[in-house]
Amino acid sequence: MIAAVGLLAGLLLGLVLQPSVPLALQPYLPIAVVAALDATFGALRAYLDGIFDDKVFVISFVSNVVIAALIVYLGDQLGVGNQLSTGVVVVLGIRIFSNVAAIRRHVLHA
Amino acid sequence: MSNAPGDDRRPAPAQPLRSWDLLSRLSDSAVDDDYARLAARRESMRPQAQGPGRRRPGWGVGVVVVLGLMLSASALQAQGSEPAEARERSALVDQIEERRTSISRSTSTLQGLQDEIAALQGDASSAGARGESLLDTVERSRILTGSGPVEGPGVRIVVDDADDAATVEGGTVLDRDLQVLVNGLWQAEAEALSINGQRLGPTSAIRVAGRAITVNYRPLTPPYVISAIGDPDTLEARFSETAAGQSWFQLESNYGIRFDMEYVADLSLPGVPAGRLRLRNALQDRVAR
Repeated sequence: MIAAVGLLAGLLLGLVLQPSVPLALQPYLPIAVVAALDATFGALRAYLDGIFDDKVFVISFVSNVVIAALIVYLGDQLGVGNQLSTGVVVVLGIRIFSNVAAIRRHVLHA
Repeated sequence: MSNAPGDDRRPAPAQPLRSWDLLSRLSDSAVDDDYARLAARRESMRPQAQGPGRRRPGWGVGVVVVLGLMLSASALQAQGSEPAEARERSALVDQIEERRTSISRSTSTLQGLQDEIAALQGDASSAGARGESLLDTVERSRILTGSGPVEGPGVRIVVDDADDAATVEGGTVLDRDLQVLVNGLWQAEAEALSINGQRLGPTSAIRVAGRAITVNYRPLTPPYVISAIGDPDTLEARFSETAAGQSWFQLESNYGIRFDMEYVADLSLPGVPAGRLRLRNALQDRVAR
């Protein structure tokens, strides 16, 4: 519940403040968001499984975001940025999908 | 790896299944293993731990807030870039329209200018034709008035007193005889005449002054050389048909006056002296009237 309120607060904060993303980070923001979503859905599933842990969530979130952005950055430097970001999105997408499916099972069968 | 051919003792699965392996492994590890590992450790260390969801929120909430921020920021960024493209597009479309109208304007201007050019060319050619005919007229007038020197084919006539002119009556060439000869040549369509190098203009007179014959008020001495520019094919024949030709034939045969006519391919005649070109007449006094 508190997490949902926090999410809403973050969304509103972003909409109200309209933070300007530094130009150098702009290409990596979308992929970082996808990575963050993956970490969050994983955390939600863990919460429903009863094994949620605050520290693990923070670490996985931060490392997911940083690693995704780094991979895309590396791809950009090597000239395969588009392909690598596609790969990252596919992997993270599959993970999000299976997490959401597990959450759905939890919610509907619980 | 376990898939190395050396230690693969199980029957190998069909090759296409391997990619499904990857996918299923992906979805199996969708949740960080750390959750389970930590939970297991907690279970073993503190069996009396509180249930899930009872824990107080800590860093996780901040992370969720950050997630919301990132979501809205990237959504705004994705939306913000779209209107920019649309603006660019519409600006380009505007530019295209503008260029199109300017092109059509230029085309119509071009059309108008081309019409104008065609009209002016027509004007110029008609003016050129008019100018050409005017030049012809001027040239003909110049020849006929004798205002400038002329060159061309024609005949040269040498006239002289008879050998016995001093003793025999009528053996000398008179001014009247020359007048007749010149008029006959004009009648035979001569274009320009001169006597002893004196060009005959409209106001030139051939008359006697004392014992000498004058042309343009210049006294001449025999023999008189008359140069006539005209059509050399017809000039001589036509002259002989005129009354002047007949009378000169009689002069030649009756009085022995010398008359020689010869064809000359290239005669060159001077202009009439400048004083003979101006026509003077009395002017009415306007005040007196």
